[in-house]
Amino acid sequence: MDIHVSHVNKSFDRKLIINDITFTIPSGEICCLLGPSGSGKTTLIRLMIGAIAADQGTIHFENTQMPSIEMLKKIGFMPQHNALYDDLSAEANLKFFGGLHRLGKHRLERRIEDVLEMVELTEHRSRLVKKFSNGMKKRLSLAAAILHSPSVLFLDEPTVGIDPVLRRKVWEQFQAFKRAGTTIIVSTHVMDEVNECDRAALIYNGSLIEYDALPALLEKTENGRVEELFFMASSKKEGDLK
Amino acid sequence: MIYLAGRVIRQTLNDKRSVMMILVAPLLILTLISFLLGDSDYVPVVGIVKNTAPSSLIAALEEQELNTIDVTNNEARHAKSYLKEHNKVDAVLTLSQDAGMSLTLYEPSTKSTKAASEIQSAMASLNPSAQINSSYVYGSQNQSTFDSLGYVFLALFAFFLVFIISGIALVKERSGGTLERLLMTPIKRAEVILGYTIGYGVFAVVQAILMVLYSMFVLQLDSAGNIGWVLLTMVLLAMTAVSFGATISIFASSELQVVQMIPFTIIPQVFFSGLIPLDLIPYHLGNLSYIMPIYYGAASIKGVMVYGHGFFDIWGHLAGLVVYACFLYLVNTQALKKFRRL
Repeated sequence: MDIHVSHVNKSFDRKLIINDITFTIPSGEICCLLGPSGSGKTTLIRLMIGAIAADQGTIHFENTQMPSIEMLKKIGFMPQHNALYDDLSAEANLKFFGGLHRLGKHRLERRIEDVLEMVELTEHRSRLVKKFSNGMKKRLSLAAAILHSPSVLFLDEPTVGIDPVLRRKVWEQFQAFKRAGTTIIVSTHVMDEVNECDRAALIYNGSLIEYDALPALLEKTENGRVEELFFMASSKKEGDLK
Repeated sequence: MIYLAGRVIRQTLNDKRSVMMILVAPLLILTLISFLLGDSDYVPVVGIVKNTAPSSLIAALEEQELNTIDVTNNEARHAKSYLKEHNKVDAVLTLSQDAGMSLTLYEPSTKSTKAASEIQSAMASLNPSAQINSSYVYGSQNQSTFDSLGYVFLALFAFFLVFIISGIALVKERSGGTLERLLMTPIKRAEVILGYTIGYGVFAVVQAILMVLYSMFVLQLDSAGNIGWVLLTMVLLAMTAVSFGATISIFASSELQVVQMIPFTIIPQVFFSGLIPLDLIPYHLGNLSYIMPIYYGAASIKGVMVYGHGFFDIWGHLAGLVVYACFLYLVNTQALKKFRRL
């Protein structure tokens, strides 16, 4: 489903964190929210999934305005911090989150098998999460997000703190979800990861400085690297201030 | 070292709750303790058959800090029944040729102690060797402090331990991001709070049963009434504690902050739970007890254990707990809007 973000503003303690952002993510694509730490990526994701309310503007998933409980059934969310229960086993965590999505006993058991296999944690299913490495927790967190086969997947910095080999595997997984028709919104501050996406929203100081399909974005640069677009935005801001 | 000390001071000053805990909490607690242990200006009321009592005794009593009221011979003979029906009277003093002087008091309490002490002073001025036989309507002189105040501790611990566990668990859920994650599923806000209440409620039931059975059969705490009502009260109290913990956790962003709120949320409740007769607390502050859940729990448990009350005597207190729990449930459901609007 298409996602429409329209003139969204959000302030915290009178500080403007998201400044009049408008863009549309076409269904079935991987869209990257790219920006340095503190640029507003997580806030934008939280606005899109309805965790916080926008001060102005609207967010629609197809024709449904967010927040919507109905729509939450179709959304998968992987937070930046793993947000798992350390004192429960991997399987118990999945049973809990699957239960909240009301998957039903048999479907839940089947999906747990599937996702554990997908993230290569089948043999660790009975271990307590507190005994997991950070990479294993990331994979389990991803498994919890996709358990109910969502049509839209929000991934907040999913590759932070994991090694390059695992990162490669994780991105392969995202590509597989995309092929299955899932729309994926992934935030990252790792510039190279933009190459995995169909399109990217470049966010700087709460503003959308560029939004386009990847080839079109790269055409706007001289060296084919998106960092350049951030440098240009930062130089323009300094110039404006002077 | 000086850098470390400087950092600790700056950090503490930046944390308003720590400053309150260090500067305000001790003053609040000391004030409450002064109410509890300080001199009370309470004037006890003592019933006596004035037309048969020696006028010198009446005069000596009236010189003390107590009020005397006239009772009939029949009322004095059935002093225990009389005291049960007349809450404002603390003691009945009777004199007879056979039994001598006897003092019937309502229950071991600050008020009874004051009444007995004033009567002793009056007697000392007349006949220092006079013996007064004292007895109580509820309880006895041989009771230990634990026997007479055990009900307070049952209520207090049933509430406090569940409050701490549920409050800290909810703060942890928030700081760990799992609350946001679970709210990104189709679960309703009311279901989240109810789920928490039921989850911790199970432990509350087990804890209540364990505490009551241990107190009765190991620590030999007596109960005049059916312990089933004590258990029911403790379970309701613990359920209220879960909701209370959840409410407090809204205002705390870390486990430490939950602990920092104990001097303001739990300790005052201890003083209004029945340790001090509420009408002895000055400036009518005793009325504050009606907004404190431990009061309802302690009053109900006291009713059953001390006075042998049944459901129809304690239902008001149980209803107080139910209303409190429902109110906090609504507050918590609304508070979750902070994390998800729907």
